Amino acid sequence: MIYEFVHNGELKTVDLKDNRIATFPDVNKAVEIDCSPDGRFYLHNGDARSEVHAVVSGDTIFVDINSVLYEFTIPSQDGGKGTSGGGDMADPSKVYAPMPGKVVKVIAVEGDEVEAKAQLIIVEAMKMEHICIAKAKGKVTAVNFKEGDQVDTETPLIELELAE
Amino acid sequence: MPELFKKVLVANRGEIAVRVLRACRTLGIKTVSVYSTADRYAVHTLMADECYEIGPPPPLESYLCIDKIIDAAKKAGADAIHPGYGFLAENAAFSQACIDNNLVFIGPSPESIQLMGNKVESRKKMVNAGVPLIPGMKDAGESIEQFRKAADKAGYPVLIKAAAGGGGKGMRVVHKQEELETAVDGAKREAKSAFGDDTVYLEKYITDPRHIEFQVFADSHGNAVHVFERECSIQRRHQKIVEESPSIAVTPELRKKMGEAAVEVVKAANYVNAGTVEFLLDTSGKFYFLEMNTRIQVEHPITEEVAGVDLVAEQLRVASGFPLSKQFKNLSQRGHAIEVRIYAEDAGNNFMPSIGKILLYQEPTGPGVRIDSGVRHNSEVGIDYDPIMAKLICWGEDRDTARARMVKALSEYKILGLRHSIKYLSDIVAHEKFGSGETYTDFIERNFSDWSDGVDENMEMALATAAVANALVKPDHVASGNGDMGSRDYNPWLTIGSWRIGEKIK
Repeated sequence: MIYEFVHNGELKTVDLKDNRIATFPDVNKAVEIDCSPDGRFYLHNGDARSEVHAVVSGDTIFVDINSVLYEFTIPSQDGGKGTSGGGDMADPSKVYAPMPGKVVKVIAVEGDEVEAKAQLIIVEAMKMEHICIAKAKGKVTAVNFKEGDQVDTETPLIELELAE
Repeated sequence: MPELFKKVLVANRGEIAVRVLRACRTLGIKTVSVYSTADRYAVHTLMADECYEIGPPPPLESYLCIDKIIDAAKKAGADAIHPGYGFLAENAAFSQACIDNNLVFIGPSPESIQLMGNKVESRKKMVNAGVPLIPGMKDAGESIEQFRKAADKAGYPVLIKAAAGGGGKGMRVVHKQEELETAVDGAKREAKSAFGDDTVYLEKYITDPRHIEFQVFADSHGNAVHVFERECSIQRRHQKIVEESPSIAVTPELRKKMGEAAVEVVKAANYVNAGTVEFLLDTSGKFYFLEMNTRIQVEHPITEEVAGVDLVAEQLRVASGFPLSKQFKNLSQRGHAIEVRIYAEDAGNNFMPSIGKILLYQEPTGPGVRIDSGVRHNSEVGIDYDPIMAKLICWGEDRDTARARMVKALSEYKILGLRHSIKYLSDIVAHEKFGSGETYTDFIERNFSDWSDGVDENMEMALATAAVANALVKPDHVASGNGDMGSRDYNPWLTIGSWRIGEKIK
């Protein structure tokens, strides 16, 4: 099962098998984490085991590894479904920010061929990461912002030329 | 024969309020706490026999509000008020208000507080008592000419300090004459905005100094003693973060000399109850009086561990009118103690205060481990107050044992739900320069200016742990590429609330 988390504005991917063995797309390494019946987490390294700590609260997962703290957020994937956003939400060729905020990561590059639900750009607003996704298959024709830009809900972040 | 107080109000919050409440209970004194609306369910609020709400979260409308606290004390029928540290602890008007309302202020007289609160006045008094001072101006400076003359006389580098100062505000180090005028103006501006008083003065800046302070104690029967030193050289922006006792730089002869000077300060100020006399110690063994703190200090536990006394209980006894107890007349030092302050702050991001709810709280234990804490599982840490959550104190037969216990204890201390400084503190205590005792007041600048928490090192382990925790708790969250977006309307998190490892989902 593939999981995605945002850490310090960066999207991280982890592939978890049997709720136990984790592998990573860019790192040639497997990590085995065992959750004991009493809900504690143990890192396996051969025969050695060491306890690590984690708490899940809402969309945030707090982790402590050897006293180093990690705060992962589960990205919200609202793809501009149009709850609070302005712009023309009905037009799938334009992707808007759901709330005014700051661009933390631009994933799409002009000219990319993207599938529906592909991640295009991540906006941070109200301390939450919003991953804006493509609502339909198409080709990226414009990327209107770069990382660090403040964005509103009126100007499209990404424009697509829809396939058929 | 004096009688011990029957009921004491603690005019503070957090770990120090808890500490004072414990001392009262040990002595069989009934306790009263006060709380702002932010602290309705705080540890200190619920621990006392009675508690009184004194207003909204901002300290000016609650914990700093003299009238409300006096009212609560009268309503509860308390005999005395313990101010803790911070808030009203060094407020002469508060000490006076207690007296005016027939309440005992557990601390020194308003006159002592006022004298020591004014750095220019207290320096004058100390000169007359023969206590060594850092060369510099005897009075607050007005014209830049005065500052220039004093700087030339003391020799550069010099330090500009605010008369009403503290916590590093209104302080400037000046290395050359050309920089003097700008520094004086800057310090004045900062002093004005921080304390409402732009009086500044100048003194010689000591290179490679150590911050050595002496715990002192005096009763109302003319007895005054010192309870040895604490070294608090590890500071970040003039705020202490690691303290230890004894100091490895203080020899028995020096201890005797400095201790005598500290007691001299106590006598010159006509001081009663617990206090701290701060000195700077230079590399040649010369020491200079800095200031006297007229309260129980944050770092008092290391003195308690080394001297085997209860300073807060003694405060209560002495304020009740008793003479200093037996233990304070035959004091000796045993072993070594180190304290670290656990703050809710982001050590990896410029020490920004961190707020949130403590979702997991696990304290270390074992021989020589003591924790003075004001928080527990599910405590909320807000923005209105000092972000100190707890203090960890480790004692050992010698310094290396105390250090080893501290590093071990810090590795077991788990707080999740907000950012804290545990990893940073552990790296300091484990640092080789700390081990070799090269602890000058610029230790942090010198050794930790490019510190980072090292998140990348164990990123995969952290991600794996997050994924497992997430899978077991929130199985519907998967990445968009593989998951079924349509099913995301169902979100158990909207109903389940916070979840903690080790507990069953309710």
